[in-house]
Amino acid sequence: MNAKRIFGLILMLGLLVSFGAGCAKKTADSMPAGATKVEISDKDTDWQKPAAPESRSLTEDEIRAQQREQAQRELGNMIFFAFDSFELTPESRDVLTSKADTLKKYALFNIVIEGHCDERGTSEYNLALGERRAKASQQFLNQLGIADSRMTIVSYGKERPLDPGKGESAWSKNRRDEFKIQN
Amino acid sequence: MKLKIWILTLMLVLAFGESVHAAETLSVDIFGPGQTRVNILVLPARGTNGQAATTLARSFGEYVSGDIGFLPFLRLAYLTEVLGGDPSKGVKSGDIDFKPLQLSRIDLVMTIGGSGQDIEARVYETFTRKLLVGKAYSQVDQGGVPHVADRFCAQLMRVLTGKSGFFDSTLAFSKKVNGGKELFTASALGRGLQQVTHDGGFNVSPSWSKDGGKLAYTNISDLGHRLGIWDRSSRVSRLRRFPGNIAISPTFTPDGQIAISLSLNGHPDIYLLNSDFKASQPLAPSWAISVSPSFDLSGRKMVFCSGRLGGPQIFILNRDTGVVDRVTYDGTYNTRPSLSPDGRFVVFARMTDSGHRIFIRDLVVNQERQISFGPGSDEDPSFDPDGYFVSFASSRGGGTKIYVTTRYGDPARLIPTGSGDAMAPAWGVAKALD
Repeated sequence: MNAKRIFGLILMLGLLVSFGAGCAKKTADSMPAGATKVEISDKDTDWQKPAAPESRSLTEDEIRAQQREQAQRELGNMIFFAFDSFELTPESRDVLTSKADTLKKYALFNIVIEGHCDERGTSEYNLALGERRAKASQQFLNQLGIADSRMTIVSYGKERPLDPGKGESAWSKNRRDEFKIQN
Repeated sequence: MKLKIWILTLMLVLAFGESVHAAETLSVDIFGPGQTRVNILVLPARGTNGQAATTLARSFGEYVSGDIGFLPFLRLAYLTEVLGGDPSKGVKSGDIDFKPLQLSRIDLVMTIGGSGQDIEARVYETFTRKLLVGKAYSQVDQGGVPHVADRFCAQLMRVLTGKSGFFDSTLAFSKKVNGGKELFTASALGRGLQQVTHDGGFNVSPSWSKDGGKLAYTNISDLGHRLGIWDRSSRVSRLRRFPGNIAISPTFTPDGQIAISLSLNGHPDIYLLNSDFKASQPLAPSWAISVSPSFDLSGRKMVFCSGRLGGPQIFILNRDTGVVDRVTYDGTYNTRPSLSPDGRFVVFARMTDSGHRIFIRDLVVNQERQISFGPGSDEDPSFDPDGYFVSFASSRGGGTKIYVTTRYGDPARLIPTGSGDAMAPAWGVAKALD
């Protein structure tokens, strides 16, 4: 009895499979002369959107490069100082707070904080002053939870002015800290 | 043969030997109160036996006249000042009519003779008719003429003042190269200009060792600050990193150590490095910026710039007592001091409403005066080995160039350093590189 039932079930399954296969694809084996061969397929098609090209997943390096670019964009804002001062202004503190968030978001990256000065004052004193400016940013970021080990300081003093012009308009741009991704 | 040599030597001694005695006759105290100014006339060069002067001899005369222009205690007189024109028929004492020179208040007269590649030069004191300096140079080519002229002027300066550091020393300075800065050297007159470092980045603040054998400097790059040491004998430079973020204004002490500003305790202090480049206790420590040390010849006095009282001011440390005294009281921004070898004078840059200017302070009488007057900005003053000349960088001509004045504030002269900005001059006792 059981064997008969099992045999019957197999037979039905076999019929269903062969029926299904017959519905999925019909191929004309014999064609009249001059007719164009048409392959008919009932594959689902999204008529609303054109078919997207097959997407390639990004490599680890490419993802890192994208993140680096994004992080550098977010860290690009400089902060500025008064003459012969390394005191952070309220505006500078806001900018640095935002940088701390960025650095937490992109925890893979370390940064270089560059301290710069205007052309007034002699080279040596300005090199020391530039270091104090960069250090002020480093200490503030450290208070906001960024490890010192992620931050390197370089003072360029007055060697790399942003604006080579004369006068307070140029000088005020040159008294600055810049933040650059290191790795 | 031996007899001939003896006769030749005797003739040379007779010809030039008078200078020893003559040097006692006229001397110039360049350090005295109110400089003596001596009038010197350089007569046109002559050939031998009535022949026309050689190109070499004429060229020598032009270079000597140019050199004399750098010596403020000499005034170059012109032939038009002499009644009757050229009073000479030859190059020796007997060929010169000294009377019109005396009447025209010419103190010294120089004659130049030349034949082939030989040059003879003599300077006579007109009132005593004595020979002060007499030199003969042989096998001179056109390229060697400036050097021969410099050597003659060094001898003349030595005879007149007892000093010749200006001619016998080398200037090192920073120069802009390919967007960075490298170190160059040249004589005080700009001769023998050579690039000596090729480190990349910015090489600044050169300082010579006492014997002129080494240069210490700061290299700044994306890697941070490094101490550079350039060795004159091997002509190779080595860079060295230190803990902290800075390595500013390295300066050789007279005994060969290096004083340098490092931030080992979180702020820039001046440290002495031992022979292994290890820093000991800071000199004149404070919570603020301390940079730009400069020592006298004994090494016991050190002037430096510090912000310990707020803005940058100049201070002096007595290393025997440890006492630090303030040097500058006027102005709110005084930087980059240089101490004279005798420890008496400090030159420094002061920020004024018209830009930076060089000032000098006499530490004995506590008086201060301005010795550079712009326009533009005058910075980085540095004493020469004699403590008489002061070189500095100035933007008075557009770009930044190196000028020289004296501690009396004589009119500044441009030192030729080629195209491009040049700054941070430092004097060394060694002669310029060949």
